[in-house]
Amino acid sequence: MRRALGLLSLVACAVLLLEVSPGRAFPAPAGNLSDDTLAIIVNRSNPIEDLSLKELKTVFLGERSHWPNGRRITLVMMDPGLSERKAVLRDVCHMNETEFSRHFLQGLFTGEVFVSPKTLSTPVGVRKFVFNVPGAIGYVRASDVDETVKVIGVNGRKLDDPEYPLRIDVRAAK
Amino acid sequence: MSQRNNNVEGIEPTGVARWMKPISDLIARHSSSLLLFMVFCVVVAVGAFMLGDLHTATEQVQHMYAGSVQGLRRIGELQYEAQETRRATLYALTTNNSNLQVEYADQSRAADRLVTEGIAQYLTEVRTPREIEVGRRLQQNWAAYLAVRDEVLASILEGSTKEAVDLDLHGGVPSFERVRQDLEEVKRLYDVQASEQLTLVDKSSQRSVIRLMGVLAFTFIFASASIWAIQRSRMLNAMRLAKLQMDFVASVSHELRTPLAVICASAQNIADGVVDEKEQMAKYGSVIRHHSRQLTELVNQILLFASTHEGRNRYVLRPLKVSEIVGAVLVNTRMLAEEAGFVVEEHLGEDLPLVTGDFSALCQCLQNLVVNAVKYGGEQQRRIMIRAFQSLAEDFREYEMRISVEDHGIGIDNAELQQIFEPFYRSPVVTAAQIHGTGLGLPLAKSIAEAMGGRITVVSKVGVGSRFTVHLPLAHALEVENTTVQRVAQL
Repeated sequence: MRRALGLLSLVACAVLLLEVSPGRAFPAPAGNLSDDTLAIIVNRSNPIEDLSLKELKTVFLGERSHWPNGRRITLVMMDPGLSERKAVLRDVCHMNETEFSRHFLQGLFTGEVFVSPKTLSTPVGVRKFVFNVPGAIGYVRASDVDETVKVIGVNGRKLDDPEYPLRIDVRAAK
Repeated sequence: MSQRNNNVEGIEPTGVARWMKPISDLIARHSSSLLLFMVFCVVVAVGAFMLGDLHTATEQVQHMYAGSVQGLRRIGELQYEAQETRRATLYALTTNNSNLQVEYADQSRAADRLVTEGIAQYLTEVRTPREIEVGRRLQQNWAAYLAVRDEVLASILEGSTKEAVDLDLHGGVPSFERVRQDLEEVKRLYDVQASEQLTLVDKSSQRSVIRLMGVLAFTFIFASASIWAIQRSRMLNAMRLAKLQMDFVASVSHELRTPLAVICASAQNIADGVVDEKEQMAKYGSVIRHHSRQLTELVNQILLFASTHEGRNRYVLRPLKVSEIVGAVLVNTRMLAEEAGFVVEEHLGEDLPLVTGDFSALCQCLQNLVVNAVKYGGEQQRRIMIRAFQSLAEDFREYEMRISVEDHGIGIDNAELQQIFEPFYRSPVVTAAQIHGTGLGLPLAKSIAEAMGGRITVVSKVGVGSRFTVHLPLAHALEVENTTVQRVAQL
């Protein structure tokens, strides 16, 4: 009984600390967000609110060049091998790393691909890139999102939706 | 006599010196302490003035530093940060590495935030319309440049280097140039403000120096005038005292010589056997006795004044009846008054309270006043009035006894009323009228009255007469009771 009470107070303290933490300026999306949720982020000036997985695939494969507001799309990817990139390749592009590279090499050569992806090493870099470029689109873990960028829904599902489709394979990441 | 008058006028101050006399007298009386006090006051005043002036000058310099030098420093920082904003943006052009480009973009944004805050701060501090205008224009131009900078950064990060360069050349460079010019203008305004304030400080400093010199000159003149006044007053006093003493010696010599001559002549006649009849012998004896008494009285008066003046006299103060004092005075002066043809009247109030004093001293005091009344009583109305009555004192808090001696003689000029109580002073009018005296009667009466805790006042009009009043304190109930007990015990 005493041990249960101690555990409960620890959990309460942790929740309280999370609530008042100054570093977390951006309010966390509501609901139970685990670290394996992958957020698709765009510039705050971008009017897009939601994209289907199919639309995401055309964007991430460079087959779409402009947003509806006329801004040129700039694709931001993370370095190969990172779990976020793996999740996008798997769940959005349905490709592995080799197929993805080949797709862009071939597409740029044939002119079927309009956008060459920019590669960044860190989630912070991705976030800053998206913040600076009005047409940029990228991805980071839900826990790396802040108020400088805008999170869009996928297939009509928000981040806090249990049926949100983009998750990182935690085991693979480990 | 006329020569004496002239001499008296010769040592009297004239013009400004006459006007300065009361002040110089006051200064002379307390010369050392007064001079020290004045010097202290002047030093304190000059010190306070100098401190105040220095404080003002320091405040002005501080204000100038805060308003201009710090402002210039801030503008320097703004210029640097603005350059840094642009420099970081251009650095992003030099690489294809997106990570580095993001880093440069970050640096550019950090610098632009500092510039934006600096401009906002400047706008809160500006005062003149020109500064406000320049500040607002700078804010607008900076915002315009940042808009172009954002586009340039976006193009660089997108990888459109050519587009970024085009944007920067056609939008960034001109707008940054406008910002640079605005910052130069702000700096120039600060320079102008600083030079204006420097001029102000310079003027203020010159003003301070002039004020300081003025104050020092005033201090010097004031100190010199004080020293001159003290020295002059001392010299005048010394000269007047010497003159009075010479007059006194002459007067006393004359007063002594006349009775002595009479006594000598009478004695010579008796010795030579010129006088042999008994009646004549008695007459000569009476003359010798009269003049001997006159001589004794004169010598006594001089000795009494000397002892009073030196504070050697010890008075025995006790409650006294006014009627007894006045009675004794009348007895002592009856012969003198009758010989001169004067009638002395006394009007004493009923149930007069006792006064505190020394009996013989008070008798001497009143006697001097009566003798003066006889001397200067004139020829017309040979009547002297002695009154005694109780009245409220000058402070209206207690009662006092007033004993007045009034004559209808030559009177005293207003200008001389203060001087008649000075030792050895003799009015030119009375010396001209060959009325003999020593100039000690009134000073002696005054010092006796003051020793009794009282004072003497005088009201006089030339040609009408004079009234001298001795104000004496009443005996307190306790003193009266003790005296009664002692008298009963003696009985």
